[in-house]
Amino acid sequence: MSFAIRATGLSKVYGGSVFRLGRSIRALDEVDIRVPPGLVFGLVGLNGAGKTTFIKAVLGVVRPTSGDVKVLGGSPEEISVRRRIGYLPERLYLPGAWTPPAFLASIARIKGLKRPKEEIDRQLSRVDLLADAGRRVGGFSKGMRQRLGLAAALLGSPELLVLDEPTDGIDPLGRVTVRNILMEERRRGATVFLNSHMLSEIEKISDHLAVLHRGRLMCQGSVESLCDSLEGWRVRFLDPPPAQLAKTVGFALDEKGPWWRFEGTDAGTFNSGLAALHEAGANVVEVVPVGRDLESLLARVVDSVRGGKQERPANVEPGIEGRDHDLESSGASVQDGEEAA
Amino acid sequence: MMRVFAVALDLLYEAARRRWFLALGGAITLFLIGLALSLQLDVVEGTLAATRLFGDDISGPMQAVDVVLRPLYRACAYVIFFGGIVFGTLACADFAPSLLSPGRIEHLLSLPVRRVELIAGTFLGVLTIAIIGGLYGALGFTVVLGVKSGIWTMGPLYSAVLAGIGFSAIYGAMLAAATFVRSAALSAAVGAGVLLAGIISSFRADLASLFNPGIWRGIFEAFTALMPRFVTLAQASADIAASAPLSMGALLRLLLGMLLFGVSMTFVAAWRIERMDF
Repeated sequence: MSFAIRATGLSKVYGGSVFRLGRSIRALDEVDIRVPPGLVFGLVGLNGAGKTTFIKAVLGVVRPTSGDVKVLGGSPEEISVRRRIGYLPERLYLPGAWTPPAFLASIARIKGLKRPKEEIDRQLSRVDLLADAGRRVGGFSKGMRQRLGLAAALLGSPELLVLDEPTDGIDPLGRVTVRNILMEERRRGATVFLNSHMLSEIEKISDHLAVLHRGRLMCQGSVESLCDSLEGWRVRFLDPPPAQLAKTVGFALDEKGPWWRFEGTDAGTFNSGLAALHEAGANVVEVVPVGRDLESLLARVVDSVRGGKQERPANVEPGIEGRDHDLESSGASVQDGEEAA
Repeated sequence: MMRVFAVALDLLYEAARRRWFLALGGAITLFLIGLALSLQLDVVEGTLAATRLFGDDISGPMQAVDVVLRPLYRACAYVIFFGGIVFGTLACADFAPSLLSPGRIEHLLSLPVRRVELIAGTFLGVLTIAIIGGLYGALGFTVVLGVKSGIWTMGPLYSAVLAGIGFSAIYGAMLAAATFVRSAALSAAVGAGVLLAGIISSFRADLASLFNPGIWRGIFEAFTALMPRFVTLAQASADIAASAPLSMGALLRLLLGMLLFGVSMTFVAAWRIERMDF
């Protein structure tokens, strides 16, 4: 199977090369990421995790210290490959004196687009900037600049969209617009690779995820396999149940408030415990299933590394297995030694 | 090649919206309009009978008008040459640092354009600005004096092109400097340094005699041999503007050296940018 992006053993070390002076920083450490075509792939991690370096390596802006990157089947430095990529940087520089059509015309010229005028108008319309086409970019808000950057990335209907914080600075309605555009692009068959701190956004639109931490790949796989697994239930009682009995049937008082937490995924055991507590006089008011969302996944990854318990947290492993299964089911081979971190 | 032109075109578009260049264009236009309105030449059968500037009579002895105009054309060539170089050094100093600025360079590099094409396009764009600026001033000056005196010469236009070539040598060094340190101030300082070194190298034979024979004189001669000779080129430019006799062989060698220096510096910039991470 061909991948839209295939990074193999990708490492990048900054600095420390001049007479071996200065401190070197390992921004990426043996990262293996495979992005299936036609999907939305989210890359998440804390600041300094190496996300932007990874994106720059994918675009050929940063040369890897070791390892290999293939984009759309070729080297990111090939002109024919770059012609098929649309990129929105985290902080796009826009010449303040230019109008949006002039800026997009400049990109269209370099991309060698035919009939650029129609394409420019179409993309400006998609990002709701057609009405502001006569204004100078210097007077634009951050959100408008971001949408103009997105229009530039969309020019020429690229096969791969690489978006670094695409919704940064955009208001909630604008975010919905961006999300809809990305979904349209996905339906068109484009691969969308995005990096964002807005985990809920990533969770909503991504099919696949990868988590980077301190330059290392912690896990990757489908969103379902990584985030949506049931871990237990949280229960609120009208009156607190007998503590000893609750403990016996598997409930523990949640540290965050008057909630009791049941760890486990077996519904029968959970219901038996609830019945026992009900018989003891504890009336149930509310039951909430507890799943692993992206935020908790990221928190666990970070906690496990900070705690130094293990290289890769055990609770992430199902996601990796899921990833492997997912890749296999989609026809991809599982990379040897793909174990992250 | 089309991508190089596309980058150069963007640079021209950007320059056209900069206050520096708008001010330069405005200043040249105002000067030419002022000259056209205030200068009055009375030419009788090829002889300058009277000259008035702002209504004041500044007539000298009666002479053939082409002879009288020669020093004016010569002065015009010097102003375009050195004025253009100094202006260009200041006004074009931040093109390359701006090109390499975060948020812009990674976006440009994600487009189907090679790094070397970005450098070549920037160099070509700045060279075009320099030549257009010089030609605009020279053409205006030629037209004003031509209309008033009836003497038409292409000399000032050729000298403007020479000034552009002279500036290209300086801008090559500025471009190379910007790829090592992304600073408009440093880029301008390097440009000023090359100009100074180029002025010194124009008098290298005379100045070398100030050094005692030995290693220091050798170093001075070796260093100045590499530098473009701006004063020599400015003199040649003034000679062309004034339709004075000139050794074409010497001029071609001078221009070749100038272009070689500029292109070599641009290659250094291209070599450097090929090895950079952004």
